[in-house]
Parts: sequence; C-alpha cells; structure tokens
Amino acid sequence: MYLTPDQERMLSGEEGQGCQKAMEILKAKGEAEGASRMVKITYAHLMPPDTMFFPFGRQGKWARDMIGELTDGVTRLKVPTTMEPKFLDLALARDLEFPDNAVKEMENIMLPAAAFYESLGVIPSYTALPFTIFPTKIGQHVSIAESIAILWYNSIFGSRCERDDGVSSLAAAITGVYPEIGVHLAENRLGEVIIRPGKDVDPVSFTYADWDLYSLASSRKCKEKTPVFIGLPTDMSFTQLKHLLAVIAVESGLAIMHIVGLTPEAPTLEAALGSKKPVAEFEIGQREIDEAYRIANTATDRSVDYVLLGCPHVTPAEMKLIAETLDDAKVSPNVRLVVSTTGLFRQMAEDMGYADIIESAGGHMTQDMCIAFAGTQVSGTIATDSIKAAFFYSGFSSKTTRRVRFGTIQDCVRAAVTGKWEASR
Amino acid sequence: MIKIKGRSIKELPAVAGKALVTTDLVAFWAGTDWETGEIVEVGHQARGQNMSGKILVCPAGKGGAGDTFGYYYLYRSGKAPRAIICNRAQGTTLAGALLTNTPMLYGFGEDVTQLINTGDQVEVNPKTGEVIINRKDD
Repeated sequence: MYLTPDQERMLSGEEGQGCQKAMEILKAKGEAEGASRMVKITYAHLMPPDTMFFPFGRQGKWARDMIGELTDGVTRLKVPTTMEPKFLDLALARDLEFPDNAVKEMENIMLPAAAFYESLGVIPSYTALPFTIFPTKIGQHVSIAESIAILWYNSIFGSRCERDDGVSSLAAAITGVYPEIGVHLAENRLGEVIIRPGKDVDPVSFTYADWDLYSLASSRKCKEKTPVFIGLPTDMSFTQLKHLLAVIAVESGLAIMHIVGLTPEAPTLEAALGSKKPVAEFEIGQREIDEAYRIANTATDRSVDYVLLGCPHVTPAEMKLIAETLDDAKVSPNVRLVVSTTGLFRQMAEDMGYADIIESAGGHMTQDMCIAFAGTQVSGTIATDSIKAAFFYSGFSSKTTRRVRFGTIQDCVRAAVTGKWEASR
Repeated sequence: MIKIKGRSIKELPAVAGKALVTTDLVAFWAGTDWETGEIVEVGHQARGQNMSGKILVCPAGKGGAGDTFGYYYLYRSGKAPRAIICNRAQGTTLAGALLTNTPMLYGFGEDVTQLINTGDQVEVNPKTGEVIINRKDD
C-alpha cells in the first residue's frame, strides 16, 4: 500500500504516538482489504467510548485507557469533526435508576472526556444526526462512526464512508486520511438486491413506526447485500427517512442503500444496480411486518414504567406529534416520560411551544444524550417508538428482565398518560 | 481433517480451540454480554451460546459503529473468542480484532459457516491464513 511522505512521517511517530497508532490502524485496515492508497477526508464524526459507552465502572476505566493510548500527543484534529451524544444527562440519573456512585464516576470520566474532545476542536454536536449540522457533498470522502449517519452520508448525500467504528473514525480525524476501500470506490456502491412492498401494504400511509418495521423486515432479508428499495414514495420526509435508515443501519452490516427516484445514485433501478442483475428480490408484506412487530415487542403484560423517546434524536415533526398527543393531559405518576433531542432542535421546540407542553405535563426534555444507552439500567417495561432503541433495551445481558413495548409515537405518549399500553395490533 | 486457506488481518501466533458456528451476523455491542461472552440478541440463531475461549465462526460482524467497543470490553473482561473466522472482514469487527490482537481470518472463497460445525476442533494460523478443521466425530 502506497503512503505519501506525509503519511509515512505520521507512521514513523514524528507527530506523536497517538498519530502513529492511528496511521498503523488505517494502514492495517487498508492492507486487509487490498487498498492501494489513502484518500483525503473532508469530515469526521466521532463515537468516543469515554463519553458514550457506559463511562462508569470498570468499562469506563477501559474506555479511558483506550482513548489515552489512541490520543497520546494529539492536540488537534486534521478535519472538521462532530461527535456522538453523551451517555447520560446527569440531571436524569435518578429518574433512570443510576446509583449515586455511577454518577460520581461519570462526573470523573464522561465530563472531562467531553471537555477534552472540545479542546481538540470537535464541534459539540452531541447527536447521531450530525447530517443536520455538517452536511457534505456527493463524492466527498468522510469517516463516520454512527450507523445511521454512515447510511445517511452515503445514501442520501452520495458522500463516501465505510462502515466505520469509533476507533477508525478517531484515527481518520487525527490523520485526515482513510484507506481507499469498500464504498470509497464507485464499483462497491452498487445495489445488489431489490426490496419492494408487498401488495397488502401501502407505504404512502405508513406511520413513522411502520417505517421502523419495514426497515427491520428489510434488514432480515438483505442482511449484508446492498438493497435497492423500489415502490417507496419519492417524497419521503426527513423524519420518515430517519426511521427507515436508523433500523436497517444497526440491524445489518450495510454502509449504503438506494431508494429509486429519491437517492442521488439511484435515478433509475438500472443505475442503482449498475445494469447488473440483482442477486435476489424480496417482498415485504404484512406477514414480514407482523414478524418484525413480534421481535420488537418483548413485553407480555400491559403496564408501562418508562416512555423513552428520541433514538435517534426527536425531530421537530415528532416533537409536534408528542405535544399534540399530550394536549392538556398529565404524565401518570407511575411513568417517567423522557424526550431526548439535539441542542438545536430543543431550541426550536422551545420557540414553538412544544417543550413547554411536554414539561408542563410532567415529562422530561433533554438534549445531547443517548437515550438508547441511558435507558439500559432501568427495570420494568419501556415503551419506545424506535426499534433501534428496542435492540439495545432488550440486549446487553443474559440476565436482563427489562421488557419493551414498541409502537407509534402516539401509542407511547398515551401510555405515558395512562401507564398502560393500549395499542392494539 | 479439512484444510482451508483464507486471508488474515494481522500476523499473530497460531491458536486452536472448539468452534462456535452461527449462520447469523454477530453483534458484539448489546448483542453479546461482555461480562460473560454469551450471545443475547433476541431472535439470533445462536442466542444463549457462549463465544468465550472459542473459535467464533460467522458470516461477518454487524451492529452499530460502537461494536468495536463491545468487542474491546469483551476482551478486557477476559471473555473474548480465541479467534474469529468469517466470510467477510466487516469494518467494526476488524477494528476490534486489530486493537486486541485477536486473530481474524476471512475470504476463504467458500462459506465457512457451512464448512465448519459447532464443536469441531479448529486450528488457526494467522501467519499463513490456514485453518485446519478436525470434525468432532472424527
């Protein structure tokens, strides 16, 4: 693999040990996949373990060890960089059943870590929707560690980003380069399988939750093969796309997908497939949607203890739905309602009066935190409108007793008011 | 005995162990319990099986971009697999394996999840890319 003199200098350790380690990782990645050279990136998005990945207890210490090694001698990043949400808004620690000692540890690990990244010049985006803050252009190379954002930058913007993880994107931000592998190359961006709606479902009338179900059902069919979606409305909104991309991103190993008539590399089915024959064609009908619904719902009784919304962060359109569904009602004293969003969207929610409605009802509004991870310490049943979050709430431990109710955002808000899951399906 | 040859992400000493084979993609963050090594993902084909100390055989890794940290935590808790044999070296798993010096072999030209059975004794050579499979009932 060819390295420029600049890149060789980084590899030799002249720019410090962190930069050397970063170049070693990127070179190993490139060589494993047969890259001939590095490409310059224009943007990176970080997923730091010490701000996000359970930054307390022994894994908090492991996260700090890892970052200490990877950033040794690093004082700035070479490209504009945003980052993921923090693990938890510490003001909500008690509500989400965190013990006091964990809060103390997070004060000592998560908060200094966030300050450290900001000192490197990281834009304090704290969201999994960085495309609302730093959009890029078609053909630009980027490095991103957040599954929905990887899919969004590739599929919606036409930028080029591999399926990066937190270590690789940090290495790319430190060095400003990335090996020319995978979907950085045009020939690896083509669609391989076709996914179409069955005759018994109508995507035009889908709720946001239906898009999650369609996404989960699709991911179970295409697995690792790049899908080309046909038969979907070409006027899908930002929030609809958020739901469609979020689930398939975390449930599959995909970096890119195409929606014919909507995404830039799929003006036609032929263009999306590169004039090749698809490997397979799948239909997502009611049977597949019902199966996805059964997987997402692990609760058996109807009581609800937590309603956690905002994975990924709640958009203004969703904020409006939450406020309208609440209307004048109050959150049940037996339920905690938490609505999580970005700093910018929260400001909009305040300007538009939605934040006041949610807070007056007894709900908690928060920003900059990952509700999918922050909700993993609670006991009882969580209601969510996100299958991505459901995957995390019912995972992590073989001993978990947490249960999940998945449904529309309105189903969830009604459950917050009554304490009961009343949606029938 | 069957011998196959693939590619290795890094030159490391040879290891051997019993295979845990799954035909589903594996998630290390949330899909696997990093304190025990058990696959806990709801609906996963190998749910309830433990990868700790085994040779993990799967089509590839999957999951969010945090999957590398899941693998790192699994390694730090002493519950990681001894090696990973897969069809495709998916990026998040590759970085986790690189960071922890876990042998990871891929690209055998045939589907390793069909070739190897759970319980087979497997020898992995990350220098040559060679894998030797001894059937459990041989």
